[in-house]
Formats: sequence, structure tokens, C-alpha cells
Amino acid sequence: MSAKEKVLSVGIDLGTSQSAIATSNDSRFVIDSYVGWPLDMVARKVVKKPVLIGAEAIENRSLLDLHRPLEQGLIKEGSEKDIAAVKEILGHLIGLATDGNREQKVRAVVGVPAETMRVNKQQLRQIMRGMVDSLIIVSEPFAVAYGIDELLHTLIIDVGAGTTDFCVMRGRYPTEEDQRTLTKAGDSVDDLLAKLIAERHPEVQFSVHMVRGWKEEHGFVGEAPGKIVVSAPVHGKMQKIDITEQMKAACDSLVAPFSETMVDLLAGVDPEYQERVRQGVFLSGRGSRIRGLAGQLEKTLAELGGGKVQLVEDPVFAGARGGLSIALDADDDDWEKVAA
Amino acid sequence: MPFGSSSRSRTPGARLKRHLLEGAVDDNLRAMRNQPSGRIYRRSPIPWPLLVAVAALGLASAALWLVLGRTPLDAPAAARGLPLGPPPGDLGPYADQPASVPVRVSNDVFPLSVRRVVIDPGHGGGDHGTRTPSGLTEKELTLDIARRTGERLAAAGFQVELTRDTDRRVSLRDRALAANERRADLFVSIHVNWFEDGRANRGIETYYLGPSDDPFVTELASLENRESGYSIADVRRLLDSIYADLRQEQSRALAGAVQRRLVEAVRELTPEVADRGVKSAPFLVLVTTEMPAILAEVASLSNDEEARLLGDESYRDRIAVALCDGIRAYSDSVAKSATTSEAR
Repeated sequence: MSAKEKVLSVGIDLGTSQSAIATSNDSRFVIDSYVGWPLDMVARKVVKKPVLIGAEAIENRSLLDLHRPLEQGLIKEGSEKDIAAVKEILGHLIGLATDGNREQKVRAVVGVPAETMRVNKQQLRQIMRGMVDSLIIVSEPFAVAYGIDELLHTLIIDVGAGTTDFCVMRGRYPTEEDQRTLTKAGDSVDDLLAKLIAERHPEVQFSVHMVRGWKEEHGFVGEAPGKIVVSAPVHGKMQKIDITEQMKAACDSLVAPFSETMVDLLAGVDPEYQERVRQGVFLSGRGSRIRGLAGQLEKTLAELGGGKVQLVEDPVFAGARGGLSIALDADDDDWEKVAA
Repeated sequence: MPFGSSSRSRTPGARLKRHLLEGAVDDNLRAMRNQPSGRIYRRSPIPWPLLVAVAALGLASAALWLVLGRTPLDAPAAARGLPLGPPPGDLGPYADQPASVPVRVSNDVFPLSVRRVVIDPGHGGGDHGTRTPSGLTEKELTLDIARRTGERLAAAGFQVELTRDTDRRVSLRDRALAANERRADLFVSIHVNWFEDGRANRGIETYYLGPSDDPFVTELASLENRESGYSIADVRRLLDSIYADLRQEQSRALAGAVQRRLVEAVRELTPEVADRGVKSAPFLVLVTTEMPAILAEVASLSNDEEARLLGDESYRDRIAVALCDGIRAYSDSVAKSATTSEAR
């Protein structure tokens, strides 16, 4: 088989905030899920590209019609521009994976939120037609479970930007009763944090990108690790502000819904296996980096008889890696059935 | 093992992985063929317990027929316990009906208890709702009444959530999503009405989901449904699946209980307030919730006297007590139904 004919398998985590790809030729990429088109001819001359994607788009946002096309893990409905933006993101990821070789045969597994509706899956399949040769769409936490090889009597909690997906693995492809999708996730923490800071420090100027950065650097639940002081402009002059209290309130807002959903799913597990599932809870996704989250969830599990919450290694790529594992394990027969 | 490589050669995990992969491919094929997934999908309009109940009924009927099956096969269909109907291929009077007509079922089939209630204070943030010239706004009133109602329900043992607990804008979609995510048993949206001149400008009305041919109600629903984020196709699909389902029946019962308590409580103080009744209307916040849901217009700011009363804490508390009583009355009736079913 020539190199040209060789099939490239890829796993993609199409995320609200970031999208990641892992490939069978051992490469992996992560990009910010932003796409921007130059606002006018002047902007076009400055950025020197018809479309900018990822960090490049964010950096040049003042010159661009900037789109973050995914909302709560799904393609925003009713906007052709957002659909075009998703196409750009996926095309960019595939381009990175194939190193621009358009002749490369590609088989892709894409992870989406657990409770994604059929119409959204069809929309995604439509968008990826022509980009890949075959496509399997799976729920994101299922991909994570597959990637870390924890497929039986485990609970995966994938904390993304737009959604947090829960999935109990019980030896079957997850059904509706095995999964939950919450919109309490990274974005909801950012929104609450921004609101609380604006209330406490009305004179401070900040953007959603700054707030997200502060959360990713200092986010915590439970006991504060120390004072959280950040720099932000006040009437154009940089000043130090203490956001410890606001950070705690914003991040703590995840604990109750997460605990409740975890308990709800555990209650649906066969009593014989509940103990095993409690000992096998895995946190993945960018949001899982919030300090103390695993410990707080373990406190909830302690009330049920004890349990262990582990952080998945390399949480940003866990979904993409899982997708890749699925892609590699699928037979040719499987791929033929799901030709794009 | 190189990054991303498969562990398929390992057994017995390989067999499990094969089984899971087949499930994933099957799920994709169903989505591609636009078939119901049977695997991952949002709540079905006909919950699985109903299917179980219907199946059980069918089995029981079959068993009964086997035990008492003395009826000759040439006897009339009704005498044999078989459904009366046209011969195969002839749809008779039902020929014009769509293939999957939603079936209305009795409340008694699901005698479940009410545990979690989501209270939805209407409007918020930049969306003020109605407002008086003096600056009293619907968004403030609904939040205050919702908090008071929530406190009382919590004291009565219910788990209570508010869709907003501050003055902020929440989309209709997010309000419904919040209730669905928290698996609420009931959803109660609180609003304050405004009547233009020419209509009785003072009254209480409670809505549940359904069609309406009243132009005033249609206009009201249109106003409340602004900025929903849903397309026409989404709404049509949602309405088709909901209008005839069990939830509509339960919502009407809840609306009746709340409306009755509200009118009684307010009329003790102001007998002239009109009982504008329980009505159906396609408010989107009711469409997209997955539990019995109502929208209560608890007062009207267009009336000067009522606007003055609404500025008084004790009047708002009176409304909150009535809402709480209505919800409790509905909850009690559901619990009673459960007890009766258990006793059967």
C-alpha cells in the first residue's frame, strides 16, 4: 500500500472553547474554537488571510468578524456563518492532521455532548462530508472512557466549556439512562465569575478572555489555597484586585449540580456494582483542572459509602485520544457502513 | 504503547470493546437513517413506563383470554375482547389521521410524587417586562414573589430551585433547560399582566401549554416568546409532540389548583379582582420544559390600585402563599392518587 493510499485515523474532540485532534501518525493538535473573517479590505490587508482560526483569530479579533460557533457543545442553530465557522475549524484540524494532503484517506471519530440530538449529529455529518471518508460520532464521555480503557463499572465526568457530560459505563454502548449533559461547565463559571467581579469591582475593566484566563490559572473549589490577586485596568491604569471570594463562589457553583447528577446516575446502577462505580469516577476535560473539584466530589461519595475520583491524564486530549482508539479498533466493515 | 494506539489485542477487554463499537456504529446508522436512536436521545414524548404499562396490559389481556377464552372465534370482535376496527388495509374513518397520533393517557398511570419544584421569575436584567409610570417593574415583582414562594415551599419540604435569583436576563431556552437539567417535577413561571384599555384591566389567569384561538392570548404568548432562540421548525416539532401528552393533562390540573388558590387569596382583600380562569397558550417556556408546567399571571400592573398593592410586601406575600398552597394542593392530589393506586 502506498503512503498516499494509507488510511489516517483521527479522533476529534469538537469543543465549545477548544477543539483537539489526535491522529494515528502520532501527532496531535489543539486549537481555540474561534473563527474570524476580516471585517473589510483594510483588515484583510493587515491579517493577510481570508480567514483566521484559533489563537490567531483571538489575537486579531478587533479586525475580524469573530465567531465562536459552538454553544453548549452544539453548533449554534440558524446561523450560516456559524456553520461555516465549524466547517473551518474541522477543515483546519483535518488539514493539520494530514499536513495539507487533500488526497489522504481519513477516517474520523468525533466526540459530541452526551445528549446531542439526532438532528445535530446529522448536521455535523453534513458539514464533514467531503472532509473525511468515513465518520463515527460518539458521545464525548464514551470516547474518554474508551481512550483510558475504563469501560466497565466506571463513571466519566467530562467537564468542557459549554457542557459537562456524565456517563456510567456498564458494558454496553451508553443509553439515555446512562448519560446526562449539564450546561453547568466552564462557560457558566466564567459568566458567574465575570458578574461577581463586576458587582464587587464595578470600576474594573475586563473581558471574558481575561476572566477565563484567571479561572484557568486560579480556579478552585472548597478551601481557598491563598489570596487570588489579579491585574486589571481601572480607567486605563493597571491595578491589583482581590477576586478570591468571587472565584470561590463561581467555581463552587459546579459542586452541587455535579454531586447531584453523580448521585442520580449512581442510584441507577445495579446495587451489586455501585461500590465499583464509586471507586472508578474519572474527571476529564479542561474544566477538570479546577483545584479541589475531585476532592469535593469524593466528599459527596463519602456520604454514599466512599469512593475515588481520579483526574484523567492529559485531560485536554482525553476525548480526542479516545476517539482515535475507537477509530483504530473499528473494522473496515464498520467504516464502510458509516461512509461520509 | 505508542500514543493513541489500540489495545484490541488484549482480551477479554477486546470482546467488550467490539460490543461497544457495534453499539456506536449502530447508533450512527440510526441517526443517518433518521430512525429513533433507541440509544441516546432526549426524553421521549411517551415515557418508557407507559410502554411497560401498555405491554403489561397486553400480556394480562392475553392471559385472561387464555384462561377465559371460551368465546368462539366467530363471535363478534367486541365479545372476544378484540378491538373493533376496519379490516386490514382499510383505515376507515381514521384514514385522514397521521400514522402516529399521540395518545392521551390517564394521570393514574403515573401516580408519582412531587419532590423538586423549579420557580421561574419572569423577565430580568434588561428585560423589565411591564412597568408602571412610577417605575415598578414586572421583573422585580416576579423575583420577589418567586423568592417568597420558594422559601415557603422549601419549608414545606420541597426541593426548590429558581431559574434566576438575581436581576439578570435568562433566555427562555435556558429557563427550560435549567428545569430539565435539575429533573424538576414541576415548573411554575411567575408573571404580572398588563391589560390595555377596553379589557377588564384587573384579573388573575393561569396558563398551561396548549393551542389558543384568543387573539389577546396569542399576542401575549408572542410577547413572552420573544428571543426564545428556537426556529419555527423546532417549535412545530415540539408542539406536535406535546399537545396531546400526559404532561398537558397534569399541567392543566396544576394550573387549576394554583388559579383557585390565587383567586381566593386575593379576593379576600380585593373582591373585584376578576377570575380570568385557566387557559391554554403556546408559551415557549412551557413547550420546552419536560415536566408539568404552568405560567401564572398573578396580578396586573395596568390597574393603579393593584400596582399600589403590589408595592406592599404583605400583598406579595399573600400571592406567594397562594402559589405555594396551589402547588401543595396539586402535590397532595398526586400523592393521594399514588396511594389509591397502591391500594388497588
